[in-house]
Amino acid sequence: MSADTLSNLKIQIEKLKKDFDQNQQINADKKLIYLGKKGLFNELSKEIKNVSNENKKVAGQLLNELKTYLQNRLETNSSVDHKNKWVDLTIPGKDQESGHVHPISQAIEEISGIFQKIGFTRVRYPEVDWDHYAFEALNMPADHPARDEWETFFVKVPPNKKMGKVVLTPHTSNGQVREMERLKHQPPIRMINIARCYRRQQDVTHTQMFHQFEGLVVDKGINIQHLKGTLDYFAQEFYGPGTKSRIRPFHFQFTEPSFEVDFSCHICHGTGLIADEHGDKQKCGLCKSGWHEVGGAGMVHPNVLKAGGIDPQEYTGFAFGWGVERTYTLRKGLNIDDIRYFYSGETRFLAQF
Amino acid sequence: MNILIPHKWLLEQLETELSPTKIQEYVSLCGPSIERIYERGNDKVYDIEITTNRVDSMSVRGVAREAAVILGQFDIPAKLAKQNLTLKNLKENNLLPLPKIIDPHKFCKRTLCVVLQNVKRTVTPKWMADRLTQVEMNIHDSAIDITNYVTHELGHPIHAFDYDRIMALGGEIHVTEAKKGEAFVTLDGELHSCVGGEIVFKNSKGEIIDLPAIKGTANSSVNADTKNILLWIESLEPSKIRFASMSHAIRTVAAQLSEKGIDPHLAEPTFVRAIELYQDLCEATVASKIHDDFSGEEQPQPIIFDKEKIDIYLGLEIEKERIVEILKKLECKVEVIRNTFHIVPPTFRKDLQIPADIVEEIARIHGYHNLPSVLMPTKIPLTKPKDLNFSAEETIKHFLADRGWFEIYTYSMVSEKIAQQSGFQITRHLQLANSLTEDKVYLRRSLSPSLQETIANNPQVENLSVFELANVYHPQENELPNETMLLSLVSQKPLAIVKGDFEALLRKFYLTKPVVKQKNGESYGEILVDSIKIGRIWLENNLTCIEIELAILLPLVKQHPNYQPLPKTSSIKESLTFTLPVETQIGPVIDEIAGLSQYIKSVTLEDVYQQNCSFGIEYWDQKKNLANENIKPLREKVVAMVTKQFNGKLVGKL
Repeated sequence: MSADTLSNLKIQIEKLKKDFDQNQQINADKKLIYLGKKGLFNELSKEIKNVSNENKKVAGQLLNELKTYLQNRLETNSSVDHKNKWVDLTIPGKDQESGHVHPISQAIEEISGIFQKIGFTRVRYPEVDWDHYAFEALNMPADHPARDEWETFFVKVPPNKKMGKVVLTPHTSNGQVREMERLKHQPPIRMINIARCYRRQQDVTHTQMFHQFEGLVVDKGINIQHLKGTLDYFAQEFYGPGTKSRIRPFHFQFTEPSFEVDFSCHICHGTGLIADEHGDKQKCGLCKSGWHEVGGAGMVHPNVLKAGGIDPQEYTGFAFGWGVERTYTLRKGLNIDDIRYFYSGETRFLAQF
Repeated sequence: MNILIPHKWLLEQLETELSPTKIQEYVSLCGPSIERIYERGNDKVYDIEITTNRVDSMSVRGVAREAAVILGQFDIPAKLAKQNLTLKNLKENNLLPLPKIIDPHKFCKRTLCVVLQNVKRTVTPKWMADRLTQVEMNIHDSAIDITNYVTHELGHPIHAFDYDRIMALGGEIHVTEAKKGEAFVTLDGELHSCVGGEIVFKNSKGEIIDLPAIKGTANSSVNADTKNILLWIESLEPSKIRFASMSHAIRTVAAQLSEKGIDPHLAEPTFVRAIELYQDLCEATVASKIHDDFSGEEQPQPIIFDKEKIDIYLGLEIEKERIVEILKKLECKVEVIRNTFHIVPPTFRKDLQIPADIVEEIARIHGYHNLPSVLMPTKIPLTKPKDLNFSAEETIKHFLADRGWFEIYTYSMVSEKIAQQSGFQITRHLQLANSLTEDKVYLRRSLSPSLQETIANNPQVENLSVFELANVYHPQENELPNETMLLSLVSQKPLAIVKGDFEALLRKFYLTKPVVKQKNGESYGEILVDSIKIGRIWLENNLTCIEIELAILLPLVKQHPNYQPLPKTSSIKESLTFTLPVETQIGPVIDEIAGLSQYIKSVTLEDVYQQNCSFGIEYWDQKKNLANENIKPLREKVVAMVTKQFNGKLVGKL
């Protein structure tokens, strides 16, 4: 192996020389670093013991030459005032290879952090679940027209008598009754459930797989004001100070009342108008109306509480569920034209995050 | 579902001076969401989303009724236009007999029909054609378009039969359930075979002559020769309509309205309005008695609850009088006894059934924007879910990314080809019953094939390393699949580099160095940490692959090290080089050397040249500094063991 070790030593010597030449410190420091007792030269010299006997002589010569090289350079430069030494600080930085955390992971991390700060517990429930948890317990019996909204994938297995078919969860709301069961039907509940979801649709704004985050709060005296407070808090934390939320009437089978949630546009601050270069008001290009629709929310339907073994006479709660992709891409500068890129494994896309 | 409503058409039902954009703003805050306003013809057209529970709003008049209540709350003058469309306005006749209607099972809650004679097939007038075009409906002629027009205006589907064809078919309408295999042809010529249980109309011979509330059939509907019309409205059980509509994938407007439960009371104004239009536009005359069988009329159930319920949901006290005012505007009958409300909703509000439904009405009309916004002061739950460690998952992602790895999200569903690469037979995979595309059919059991595909799809990148944390799905008999979270790593970099990154990751969690057990002849190795198998490592298509079960790894991770006092004695390092036989696994050699003595602190592989391997051995005794005579026997032990156990030959001499 001797030849290889010798050539390795040669490489090390060249590396040390280059390193030395690029080092901009004052000579006194350099002397310590390179020629000190525990300096780099002495460290490198130890390598000689790995060199086979027949090559030891050559190795010794090489090391001697290196020492002379270093000493000469230190002497010639020692008379120069280091303060006046010409330095090029404009040379480009050396790029270190770096990887990337997926943008959806980044969004999920941020979202869960925001909710954890106000006492929400992050949970995880099956992505492939019974119809019971995905629909039936959510006040959506089989063949209910409301189910049309969820283009659901079914798994080719025989249905369970009690739990029904096996579905790919079309939303994270299957976590609602599961969380009530985990806590043995005992509020308080403050859950945040973030997971992969699946729907039978595919175009530039829809992928067969996507992510949702679901909030659920159940306790005595929970009311619509608390939902509004939570939404406003999230809007400010995620989109920045001044962002507001708004709820409008909607309908979901598993909440009553139900709401659609909008966040004020952070470009035009909810006005729908921005000033152009002449100071004239123009329609905001991002939102058009001042608001962005992000998803649904509502007060938990009494039937859902019952399905989770909680007495709706005693407890109330709210829930919300939105797409992670939609929430994330509403941020300034993240106007992504085709959300399929998230799941394409396209490194030119991912390397930007 | 969405409905298009031209502004001028709306103004026929809603008296207001307000501009379209203001109507949009206010109505959307408290009622249906007006998503967009289009310019069409000489008018603005609202595009309004009506939620599935509010089929009563799926018409021009329905939206006008909501708007009138909402605008009033903002003190804007607005009124729902008066309507005088009752059967009493119509003159009956006895010129032609009505068909005989036989409905022994009372499938129809209400049936309403009349014969219209001498219907002129006039061109649809421009005003009607314009409006139908604005709401994206096709134009035929007046006799056909009237039915679509009144449905859009007032909300109840209505059907025109060819009266003479009905009579030629036997003059009887039997309301019954279809048997499996019975056939019918829809008016656009499509042949359907019944699944059984659809409500159909049959003639006396048992032929299907209509698919009520969904679509007419070719043998009875209006055609080019029609002169006399049997104008018809029925009211069926919504779930029956949905069943038939879904079974045959016939999703007409009529079906989508009827399956949501339209108020049968709405049949009357719709019917009368249609007759008036037939008289005006087609010069038709009423030629028969008016048949109105409303034996299935149901009374709305009262909702009784305490005022406190509303206060709890809203988080504030709202005056009794205000509640009553809002409910009356919504056409509810209200009675208040002390603090208890007795509310009877109007027949068109079938969605109002429980107290929470009433809460919603009060809250939205009062205005959600008028409610304060506060965070809940309630208790924070402390029972965390077991077996989850999201922060460790995040650490893994960031650590690998910092070392040059790309995190990838690939689909949970894979093609047959990718599924087969998992090492499990295709039949041992869960399959989707209704997959959308061929590349997403099976639930995957390994992440590695998807990641290998990702690398192949990025040929422009050199030395690409990718990883993913995601579930795989192992089938279980009569159970949900076993969802297992894996960490999968695939890299174009050499094995040693990839292993180095992985070992560093485990160090991040203060775990001991993983051991790879590779049986002779096996192309993969098992990865063990403290003798626990956490995953596998292998080479495939020139890629280094590692797959780890997080459910096993995460319980082992630590948040901090086990602190060791700093050593008071120094260690001594030396190299020993051995010539080892071809195909000797290095891992076990290192493990065996390290296990020889408590004074051997560490063993590293320093260099490999052909069959020569140099091992760096560090000797250390925590009690004293080792001298040469202490090390000599240890060194001899190492050489003896490697010579004996691995057939190695020391390079140089002891």
